[in-house]
Amino acid sequence: MVNRVVLNNQIHRDVRIAATRPTRENAAVNAVTVIPREFPRLLAHYPIFYTKNTETGRFEPSALLGFQPQENLFFVEGRWDAAYVPLQIQRLPFSLMTRRVNESEGKPTLDVALDLSQTVQSPEGQRLFLEDGQPTKFLQDITSMLSALVAGANETYAFTGRLAELNLIEPVQIDIEFVNGSETKLQGLYWIAAAALKALPAAQLAELRDREFLEWMYFQMASIAHVSALVARKNRQLSGVTAARA
Amino acid sequence: MVNTDPRPVRKILIVGGGTAGWITAGVLASRYPRRGEDGISITLIESRLQPPIGVGEGTWPTMRATLKQIGVTETDFLRECDASFKQGSQFVRWVDGGDSDAYYHPFTLPVGYEERNLAPYWLEDPRGQSFAVSMCFQTEACSRALAPKQITTPEFTGLANYAYHLDAGKFGPFLRQHCIDKLGVDHIYDEIVRIEGTDGGDIAHVVTKSGESLAADLFIDCSGFSALLIGKHFGVPFLSKKDVLFIDKAWAVQVPYRADDAAIGSVTLATAQSAGWVWDIGLTTRRGVGYVFSSGHMPEEGALEELKRYLGARGDLSPDLSFRKIDVNSGYRQEFWTRNCVAVGLSAGFLEPLEASAIVMIELSAKSIANLLPGCRGGMREAARLFNDTYRYRWERIIDFLKLHYALSRRTDSRFWIDNRARESIPSSLRDYLEFWRDHCPWHEDFAHREEVFSAASYQYILYGMGFQTHCASWLLNDRDRSLAREKMNETAHYGRALTASLPSNRELLSKVGRYGLQKI
Repeated sequence: MVNRVVLNNQIHRDVRIAATRPTRENAAVNAVTVIPREFPRLLAHYPIFYTKNTETGRFEPSALLGFQPQENLFFVEGRWDAAYVPLQIQRLPFSLMTRRVNESEGKPTLDVALDLSQTVQSPEGQRLFLEDGQPTKFLQDITSMLSALVAGANETYAFTGRLAELNLIEPVQIDIEFVNGSETKLQGLYWIAAAALKALPAAQLAELRDREFLEWMYFQMASIAHVSALVARKNRQLSGVTAARA
Repeated sequence: MVNTDPRPVRKILIVGGGTAGWITAGVLASRYPRRGEDGISITLIESRLQPPIGVGEGTWPTMRATLKQIGVTETDFLRECDASFKQGSQFVRWVDGGDSDAYYHPFTLPVGYEERNLAPYWLEDPRGQSFAVSMCFQTEACSRALAPKQITTPEFTGLANYAYHLDAGKFGPFLRQHCIDKLGVDHIYDEIVRIEGTDGGDIAHVVTKSGESLAADLFIDCSGFSALLIGKHFGVPFLSKKDVLFIDKAWAVQVPYRADDAAIGSVTLATAQSAGWVWDIGLTTRRGVGYVFSSGHMPEEGALEELKRYLGARGDLSPDLSFRKIDVNSGYRQEFWTRNCVAVGLSAGFLEPLEASAIVMIELSAKSIANLLPGCRGGMREAARLFNDTYRYRWERIIDFLKLHYALSRRTDSRFWIDNRARESIPSSLRDYLEFWRDHCPWHEDFAHREEVFSAASYQYILYGMGFQTHCASWLLNDRDRSLAREKMNETAHYGRALTASLPSNRELLSKVGRYGLQKI
């Protein structure tokens, strides 16, 4: 059961978050939503596709982590096996909660919340607040991570919304055969429609360039090469070989 | 061979800007995109004085293909026409009038329909389930007011077959905007005051109130009940079918939802009354409700009272409601295409709204005109002959299909229902079919055309929904098909459960479409 509470420097003054993040439960996903600003760092490890948000149907970039539901091939022996962990995983078990202020007072404010059901505490862990109630460096980092995700979501939907309008996104189905002969079909994934991109009028191409979208598209397209690396991870697992540390 | 008349057919004038006019304009203009000197011109003239009929209307799944061809997005259409998803119809109290008397006609075909006719095996052992529930996974979704798709499903595609309920008053203007902005249709607001013919008998041009003379090679009469060209000018007789379909009047009313989160039904609800039936259609903003009745069986005031009772029983009766009376004149033109004029929509024919045949006939007619459109005037005669043959057939088949709903009723509580079963009121074609179906389940070959408005599947849903008994000869049944039928019915039950668990409600999906839109892919 999710048990989210808004952080409070009195109530949570002595909370210490264990360094073991993400937890096994947090990591049990085969894809994670990412934001364009992460692309340069993600590009070193993960294949990025576009997937549809199940609540809104809108496209968002996702890093593929495994081939079966809840299979995360980057989570090996209790730790994350890549130098960069996607923000959406890093931030856990923290999240932002909307505080509904008066309708008339305009924008709702966002509070940092902690999911207590997913929190491992440890006496040696990271503190959230200093003695004087100010947030620690640790919490400040978490907060800026969460802010980046909020800003990133807005950028994401401007980006993918425009790509969809220009018919630059197309569905892709990838058939994979593993070393033990088993097969899988990756469905519900989308990527850049290369033919449409090639045929795009110059004015629209310039618009994509000016809005940084073109750069993001190329990062994402280049990341597809990691599908074979992901297959290799799976094959190593299937043949009982311990994954090499990235 | 020398073409008898080589004058090109390049100017099309559509008279009337209702649903028929704009669908026809959209279908023709999207099909023939070349304009100007080396293309065709399509002009639509409409009157500002004629308000659209404007009740909520039901469509067939063909509408998805039509909208796609015209080139609008499903999101824009749903948002701007207050449209909702329709997955079929539910008929309440049509069989014996009792409290548990209700059955569905879903849009998805009966299971196995692509391969075999499995209806005989349902008849043999229905296992306590209705035909629609046993043979169609969609029925469960219909009964729960669910959407036919998810927010992640691309536009115009569904997890179950679907059509729309729409606000006809908004649909015309929505298409108008698109036809003018995107498809190069010319648009004129004016009244036609005179129609002038050629010596040969064609229409040469129409003269408008502002003094303009509009010439064309082909005139499409979408002027509604007034039938300016096909009726008033050419005098093509209207064949009344009132002796078969008795309904001739309607009371219509717009009913607000009682709460913002009230369920939006995903079927057209048709509830039989003592002299007709009540339609109940959920749009995103309100419901459209109306009672179509036979004034020969009930006076107008009586019908209004009965409609109010229907609303009252649901807690929907309020003094704010305004009831509007509409005439229903069932029948069609003896000819739809004559000389250089073809009628589409109410000018061509109209039947009571049972099974929502009006808009689908407009779509089909527009498509046929696009397909038959001759390059030169000389080909017009043959195009007209083919069109007339097809559409006479189609109107007759629709009349048979509508009459079927009445002919199979066992209600005895009023003259309306008893008279509807009088032998002389049932077309002989339908009588022959009913005789044939006593030991044969309806199937493709029973019908002459490739593209039937109502296929054998629709007949199966109505016949077996209404308890019609087909006694299939045992020597024509076999174990292979029997076990296939069992397997398919089991699959249907499993899939229906899985699907309903994953589908949002009609209301929920429509509000998400309002907020996020549907993706093209």
